[in-house]
Amino acid sequence: MPRFVFTLVVTVLAVMLGGELATVRGQATSGEYRIGVLEPITGPLAFEGKRHMEGLEIVRDLINERGGVMGKKLVFSVADATDPTAAASEANRLITRESVKIITGTFSSRLCGAASEVAARHDVIYWESSCVDPRFNKRGLKHVYRTEIDATGFGWYNVEFIAKHLAPRLNLKPNQIKIAFLSEDSSYGQGVTESARQRAKTEFGMQEVMVEYYNWQTLNDMTPTILKMKQLNPDVVHHISFSNDGVLFWRQAKEQSFLFKALVHAGATGYGSADFGKALGNDANGVFALLEPGPGFRLESLRPEGQAIEKAFRDAVQKRTGTYPFGAHQLAGSGLWLLKLVLDKAQSDDPEKFRAAVMSLDLPVGSMINGWGVKFSEQGQNANDRVQHYMLQWQNGQLVTVWPEEFSTLRAKWIPLGAWDQRK
Amino acid sequence: MDPARRLGPAQIGVLAQLVVATVLLGGIYALISVGLTLIFGIMRVVNFAHGEFLMLGMYLAFWAFVLFTADPYFVVLVAIPLFFVVGLVVYALVMRGVIHASHNVQIFTTVGLSTVLQNVALVAWSGDFRFVRPWHLSTVLRAGSTTFNLTQVVASVIAVTLTLALVAFMKWTHAGRVMRATAQDRDAATLMGIDTDRVYRLTFAIGIAAVGTAGVLVAPLYSVYPTAGLQFVLLSYVVVVLGGLGDMLGAMLGSLIVAGVEVAGSYLFGAAWKEIFYFILFILVLVFRPAGLFGQRGAETLGV
Repeated sequence: MPRFVFTLVVTVLAVMLGGELATVRGQATSGEYRIGVLEPITGPLAFEGKRHMEGLEIVRDLINERGGVMGKKLVFSVADATDPTAAASEANRLITRESVKIITGTFSSRLCGAASEVAARHDVIYWESSCVDPRFNKRGLKHVYRTEIDATGFGWYNVEFIAKHLAPRLNLKPNQIKIAFLSEDSSYGQGVTESARQRAKTEFGMQEVMVEYYNWQTLNDMTPTILKMKQLNPDVVHHISFSNDGVLFWRQAKEQSFLFKALVHAGATGYGSADFGKALGNDANGVFALLEPGPGFRLESLRPEGQAIEKAFRDAVQKRTGTYPFGAHQLAGSGLWLLKLVLDKAQSDDPEKFRAAVMSLDLPVGSMINGWGVKFSEQGQNANDRVQHYMLQWQNGQLVTVWPEEFSTLRAKWIPLGAWDQRK
Repeated sequence: MDPARRLGPAQIGVLAQLVVATVLLGGIYALISVGLTLIFGIMRVVNFAHGEFLMLGMYLAFWAFVLFTADPYFVVLVAIPLFFVVGLVVYALVMRGVIHASHNVQIFTTVGLSTVLQNVALVAWSGDFRFVRPWHLSTVLRAGSTTFNLTQVVASVIAVTLTLALVAFMKWTHAGRVMRATAQDRDAATLMGIDTDRVYRLTFAIGIAAVGTAGVLVAPLYSVYPTAGLQFVLLSYVVVVLGGLGDMLGAMLGSLIVAGVEVAGSYLFGAAWKEIFYFILFILVLVFRPAGLFGQRGAETLGV
């Protein structure tokens, strides 16, 4: 009899446990959690949008290998946001037809505003991983968040680099530096430039010798601007470029033998895009661009959990694309990873619970992909000093990490920039 | 005081360089505008797809360079006949049907064609920015303190040659006379036994060949992408209006004026101002000299 009881107990337990296990497994494999993804996959912004998409897919797979989000497999409903109108209508479609509760995207400052307005109207969470328009988080939209810093943060870091790294190496005090500001005239260019001007002037007393904006889409010749700058003789050129304007400036500055001590840019556009190196080869040597970390980035400088995910991410990008991650991969990837951290904490996509989880996250620099940390403001903006940014420099066809020095094995060269034919 | 506005002996070098910049940039604008003014002047069709044929020329240079490492100057020899044929085909498929229709229909058609071509390029070659880097790209000629970019010099020389060749063709060949006659009065030309359809076909093909060639020549200077044509197309309308519709020497001068306004405006006031200046000029010309700064034959048929 006892033997019968024992068998019975074991059987009952087995059935219960088995059932339990089956349910857990069932949740992990058959349960899906769908979010909306808005990126420009066609149209003029597609070249960056497609890389964002790659970064999102790579990190989605990493997340799913690590148990998904809220115990479910993360899946995407992807929509093509070619322009602001398409971004808005596709956001609408994702919400009303695909019933998503969270939308992430969109990389471009031209798209994020329109898309997030729509999400906010429907009380859907909008999770932006790039888009650096300073106005984005100043509209009082409660469920709109941004993981990347905005353009004013870029200007802040650029001046930090000029004052704390370039000035000593040029044997100048920050207030002796003559700086020329040149920029394309989008909200991005203006945001970076104006915040850099402000900080350079008020905090460090740098001497501003010029500020000039232009429309990159109709710019065919920069010779007049370069001739003007030559006479103003700046030490540092702070140039925010969008695409071909960077190539045009650099090529024509060389033609005119315009000599200055350093050029500093911010962002994955213009000088910060792989296209700049492709267009100029070794002639690109010496240009600085504020970006996400590149080759030379020291894994050991991160916290253990940051090292683990950064390494897994880098390997996954390498496996899929054969290259070191591009900025677009890193922004989209870290944004999505951070979304997972929030969802794991909130265990819900209810906007209020989600917001509480976002606000409670407090991770130091070095905690995740790109060595970033997390601390959101009430406006839904991740903090400048947590979202660590890095100065990269074009060195022989590659953008490599050179500053802050504790994060890199490589060092900045050509300070000051020598004659044009001697930057080898 | 802003040193840019001080004009002393030390500024002579700068002034010389600004003049060179004007001439070289004007050369590029002329190269792009000559085909447009020809089509505009003779067919009375505003070809809104003009910039897209320029873009196709740039892609031709790019692919020839990548696949066969062919130098753009060699590709030009292929581009002229190739784009002539492209012009014939586009005329037969698209333009022929609307040549007698109203201006509105023609505008819609060419705008449609422009969008189609941009998107074909986007689908076929993606939105990536591409670059053509022949060995002579950064070759710079120096005369004293003045520098000349070789690629721009070549483009300008070809622009002048092409313009003069077209002017001579229009003036002294039978085909040219027939084209001018058609431009002056389509109906009378038909009554004189001129096959106007053939004239239009030829005009369109020559215009497209000219802009395709321009695309190949400017490809090393600018990046190649599906909407690259938009960068130039607006100002080429300004050039054509300044010069007078269909007046090729006028287009040449118009290009220099637009380039001069752009260079001087950028230097004195800043790059953001250049379009304001040349579009003000554009409006003034339209208001006070609608036939162009230099007048023009056949302008009276404009309202047709």
